[in-house]
Amino acid sequence: MHGIIENLISELTRLPGIGRKTAQRLAFFILSMPDAEALSIAKAIEKVKEKARFCSQCYNITENEICEICSDESRDRSRICVVEEPSNILVIERVKGLHCLYHVLLGALSPIDGITPEKLKIKELVQRVRRDGIQEIIMATNPNTKGEITAQYIRELLSPMAVKVTRIAYGLPMGSDIEFADEVTLGKALEGRREL
Amino acid sequence: MLQRTEGIVLKTSPFGEADLIVTYLTSDHGIIRTFAKSPRKIKSRFGSSLEPLTCARISFWGREDSALPRLTQSDIIHSFHSIRSTLNCFLRVSEVIELTLNFLPEREASKKVYALLMNTMKVMESECNTGLLLVFYKLRLLEAVGFLPRFSGCGRCGKKGDCFYVSHGTVLCGSCSKGHQPSIRLSPGVVNLYASLLGWSIAKLDRIKPPEAFVSELSAVIDEHVKYITERSLKTKSFRAS
Ligand SMILES: [Zn+2]
Ligand SMILES: [Zn+2]
Repeated sequence: MHGIIENLISELTRLPGIGRKTAQRLAFFILSMPDAEALSIAKAIEKVKEKARFCSQCYNITENEICEICSDESRDRSRICVVEEPSNILVIERVKGLHCLYHVLLGALSPIDGITPEKLKIKELVQRVRRDGIQEIIMATNPNTKGEITAQYIRELLSPMAVKVTRIAYGLPMGSDIEFADEVTLGKALEGRREL
Repeated sequence: MLQRTEGIVLKTSPFGEADLIVTYLTSDHGIIRTFAKSPRKIKSRFGSSLEPLTCARISFWGREDSALPRLTQSDIIHSFHSIRSTLNCFLRVSEVIELTLNFLPEREASKKVYALLMNTMKVMESECNTGLLLVFYKLRLLEAVGFLPRFSGCGRCGKKGDCFYVSHGTVLCGSCSKGHQPSIRLSPGVVNLYASLLGWSIAKLDRIKPPEAFVSELSAVIDEHVKYITERSLKTKSFRAS
């Protein structure tokens, strides 16, 4: 195949979930698009790479010094929801009701991969708790081993401070059958049962 | 072709959007890496069965020599959930796992190492706070993979000696060690502990209580030995120090 098209295809396969076949389809689609449309995709990528940076307070992605969420005065500023990645904020924001601040750790602890506390934004979280009189930390790291030990580490770190640390509940995904749940997931769901 | 075996999840690494590379220590094929499609999605059929330390009956597709066979099935035999849900315990077991990954080459079957890891985790489940168990595992692993440090007698001539030379992985006597790098002097208690750990079965471990100083001294020598062979410190060490 032609050099420049081949190049576009192989660039597109870098994206998650894009295999060689999909990349080919996308490349030929881009080729058939009006110039202006195709170039606006390229420009959008360029702009986001040029402007996007981490919020100096919560490490969400923003184009300003402080992100929109941190500067939103209508939010409950006594609670911080802690997540692993900026993309997690988007998902949690879709849930109505939790109108609070966030803190992005930019990863999760993993001793075997050498991901130690210093490599994450943990120190910065502790500073916020100390400085801003935070009353509740909601640990919304992933419900897997890395997310779990990260939550535990932070809880231990914050234990001398007067802040409540909560963890999102574990359980069965809505719409599924109990029959297909494994023992660990089901065990956690039973542990976290509550009165009706 | 489809292969079935029993394996313990050593580690997982995210791949693409929702996929995972799962590294197993299996009873039949040693360490293998498999590709699992979409386990990170909420309703994945893999459930929690790919979490580190899980022992499961697994099936995977791929040619005998395929670098990354595809995981098709995983049914939990023993979750070892309590070990990975306590931070300190998980840090200890992470050291065990990192060491295993460093010393056992991929696809080299070892029933010995498999049984050792399995038994060690079973003990950890009921008692995690034991430095002795960690040292036991390290020594037995090094023995199984052929990197056991030699503490009893000079490695060259067999004469008595009490100085361990990291560069040689053995004790050397006075005359054999002339002109060599500085060494670590071993106390008799440590040499005895070393011999006992190689002789005892894991079930006996909780019956003896060697002085904490011997355990940490032995542990330190083994760590130096490991560091010399692998040419780096364990990543898990940097976590425990921090
Ligand atoms: Zn922010
Ligand atoms: Zn000698």
